[in-house]
Amino acid sequence: MANYFNTLSLREQLAELGKCRFMHLDEFTEGVDALRGKKMVVIGCGAQGLNQGLNLRDSGLDVSYALRAEAIEQKRQSWKNATENGFTVGTYDELLPTADVVLNLTPDKQHTSVVNAIMPLMKHGACLSYSHGFNIVEEGMQVRDDITVIMVAPKCPGSEVRAEYVRGFGVPTLIAVHEDNDPNGEGLALAKAYAVGTGGHKAGVLMSSFIAEVKSDLMGEQTILCGMLQTGSLLCFDKMMEEGIDPGYASKLIQYGWETTTEALKYGGVTNMMDRLSNPAKIRAFDLAEEMKDIMRPLYWKHQDDIMTGTFSQTMMADWANDDVELLGWRADTAETPFEKTPAGDMEISEQEYFDNGILMVAMVKAGVELAFETMTSAGIIADSAYYESLHETPLIANTVARKKLYEMNATISDTAEYGCYLYNHACVPLLGDFMKDITSDVIGKGLELDDNGVDNARLIEVNAAIRSHPVEQIGGVLRGYMADMKRII
Amino acid sequence: MICLDALSVDFDGRFQLHDVSWTIQPGEHWLIAGANGSGKSALAAVLAGDGQGLSGTLSGLPDRVALVSYERQAELIEAERRKDDADILDVISEGTPAAEIIDAVCQDHDLAQTLIDTLGLRPLMGRAFRKLSTGETRKVMLIRALTSRPELVVLDEPFDGLDHDSLMWLQGHLSVLAETVPMVIVLNRFDECPEFITHIAYVDDGHLLHQVKRDDERAFAELYQLLHLKTSELEVPRADPADRLPALNSGDPLVRITGATIRYDENTVFENLDWTIEANQSWQVSGPNGSGKTCLLSLITGDHPQCYVNDIRVFGFQRGTGESIWQIKQYIGYVSTALQWEYRVGTGLRNVIISGFFDSIGLYTKSTETQRAIADDWLALLGMAERADEPFNSLSYGDQRLVLIARAMVKHPPLLILDEPCLGLDEMNRHLVLALIERICASSETAVLYVNHRSEDRIPGIDNHLTLSGDTAS
Repeated sequence: MANYFNTLSLREQLAELGKCRFMHLDEFTEGVDALRGKKMVVIGCGAQGLNQGLNLRDSGLDVSYALRAEAIEQKRQSWKNATENGFTVGTYDELLPTADVVLNLTPDKQHTSVVNAIMPLMKHGACLSYSHGFNIVEEGMQVRDDITVIMVAPKCPGSEVRAEYVRGFGVPTLIAVHEDNDPNGEGLALAKAYAVGTGGHKAGVLMSSFIAEVKSDLMGEQTILCGMLQTGSLLCFDKMMEEGIDPGYASKLIQYGWETTTEALKYGGVTNMMDRLSNPAKIRAFDLAEEMKDIMRPLYWKHQDDIMTGTFSQTMMADWANDDVELLGWRADTAETPFEKTPAGDMEISEQEYFDNGILMVAMVKAGVELAFETMTSAGIIADSAYYESLHETPLIANTVARKKLYEMNATISDTAEYGCYLYNHACVPLLGDFMKDITSDVIGKGLELDDNGVDNARLIEVNAAIRSHPVEQIGGVLRGYMADMKRII
Repeated sequence: MICLDALSVDFDGRFQLHDVSWTIQPGEHWLIAGANGSGKSALAAVLAGDGQGLSGTLSGLPDRVALVSYERQAELIEAERRKDDADILDVISEGTPAAEIIDAVCQDHDLAQTLIDTLGLRPLMGRAFRKLSTGETRKVMLIRALTSRPELVVLDEPFDGLDHDSLMWLQGHLSVLAETVPMVIVLNRFDECPEFITHIAYVDDGHLLHQVKRDDERAFAELYQLLHLKTSELEVPRADPADRLPALNSGDPLVRITGATIRYDENTVFENLDWTIEANQSWQVSGPNGSGKTCLLSLITGDHPQCYVNDIRVFGFQRGTGESIWQIKQYIGYVSTALQWEYRVGTGLRNVIISGFFDSIGLYTKSTETQRAIADDWLALLGMAERADEPFNSLSYGDQRLVLIARAMVKHPPLLILDEPCLGLDEMNRHLVLALIERICASSETAVLYVNHRSEDRIPGIDNHLTLSGDTAS
């Protein structure tokens, strides 16, 4: 199989990368009609598989689960999940020949074997749905011509997908149709109905393409989302140890600091996050971020280039073929880092203190978000996609660090994201080595501790203007406006 | 120290106080509160020696207890009338002048004169007591009480019918008197509660249910709310006329469960259960922990995934035939401890109640003017009108429960499910919740499905019972 993206002409590549549109609620008035009465069969009964299935069934759709014969015979967890929830369970042979829509909700690395196994069993004109485009775009999976291929990707873990549905809401969801596999032109209608069935339409649906989803998703998760948080956590912790800060305090400041500071990002973008700092601290964070952006820019470019050319996926697939030796080794190394091994202290840190004493962390988030966004858009990814895969998701990932540090983050994200995160971290830690030498506890651990918070007017105006006029803030303002319209009134 | 110990008192067979234990320490001033007919006046009258003790003891009452109450007022007027009837002379009886009525018990003539002037009674002093208006006789009664050098003052609704000036004066006078004389005041409304009151006694159905210290702000607020729910003349708010539920077939039962079984692994929660709930038919479901009460309910609400493998017909939908869960939920109002745990939102109370129109946890849809007005009516009924924008998650546990009950009822569903609605609540909040449920049950056509394991938490009007025993249902 050849990398699908690389088979396209530059024009086609750019057209696909440029697809991303926030859909309005009134585009979903047909509800689940396109799927009503159709037989939906889910492959994979993990968190996504089970919870999406529960939602779809509660939306009035016919859902059953196809498991491998040995999973059924041995009554494995996936079998238990499906049967205890009252679903029909059968083997591929039993269920797939009559399925109208097959939902492939297995992990990326199983896609090739799963799709090869199910394709011969699927009936003519059926639909195959993915929740991530890696298999199609990077591995170049060729799906039978008569089969419609769509993607419906809830942008949250499976448990959230269910919890939000039960509350009467949903999670933001990305949908796409693989243009090469839309023989009856019904792909979009099916994807929309599926998004309604999981409740996603209530929280906002982005219509994108397989390619834009893969290339922006990989870039975001490797760099700002997971990579930057990992590198930032390790560097900031080591620096605080060097500066004699209490280890428990340092550990806590980082573990919860990402979540607290990026919460401000969620509400009002980089501008609001920076506005939470005092004026002198804001100028300091701005300068640090500018410096880091210059240092890290080539790294961001390299990641994006490797993603675009397929070098990244090739490297990772080689590790898949080698029993994940690299991934597992890097995972073990992360567990041994001082930050990971030092438990958070039980001291109180106020919400504002996370900003005041974490100026460098704020600067890292700003630098990472802006660089990832700039890099993606300069590579042809539309601003909307770039926004979602950088700024929008940062608080979600920061939240996993707060739960159980880097271990939880890497456990929650996909293996693909985790692999990319380590690649970034290995390059970024040494890259920032010299920069970190000049850092002291005034920007990480202690705060500026100034007697006078005065700043130069002209300089402040200049810094504020630069923050507010960044393109990620422009598109962010528009998209957050859409989201607020339909989103939780609370 | 006045001490009532397990005291039961009968009032001419018309009313009884039961098993009252109450201590009034020196320096305490009590307010007695309760709904009409609860026995608060009776409790006050006991302090003045009224009623026939049936059991228990009453000790420490001082000799001179001054009681002002409608009952005392009526007695005095009745006595005057009898004097008139007994008059055998063929002259028109004028009755006893007001001045003499006061003099009969007066111990402080200077004070009496001041009071007569202050309350504007001077021109009426020569007039017959029984010819005075109700407000005027009430003032005379007050003067009698206050000038009798009382050792305990018991005032039953003393502010009722007083004009503003008199009211202000009386309140001022009482607060001075309170420095030397203990007071017990019966009031219908807390907002008239004088500053000097130190304790509140809450009476319901002849029982002294709650005793609360004035400075315990939380308990005071809860008691306020309970009294409000018991006494408010507000109606249960109407449904939203613009948001009518799709009509149900009138002959159909709301729920029909046939041969239901719930099983996890080898563990059977219940099996072969049949149950039909007709429209407007209320049920109480009981059974020990683990007998499957909540499971059974969630088969109806659709929250139990095994509802798809059982024969269940709800609101005209055979489950598992393409209906959505929201089509089911629209007919159900639902309250449980689990829901309260799920409902962790910082949104305001008004929005929480409005979310009941959408069966959502949190509010994701723009509400209408009417929906907001209905939500505010509910808050007024709950005595929380001022708190519409307070964040839900900052409320006490009991208040959250009340708001969730209002949320469940806001759309006037055909079926209201209350799964252990008093679970985890203290006595006061239990009474609050029951008071609210009782009001709802009395004023709507909703069938109530009430689950509990405390037999004393009965709700009047629920006469069908389903008992789950743990292995078989009956």
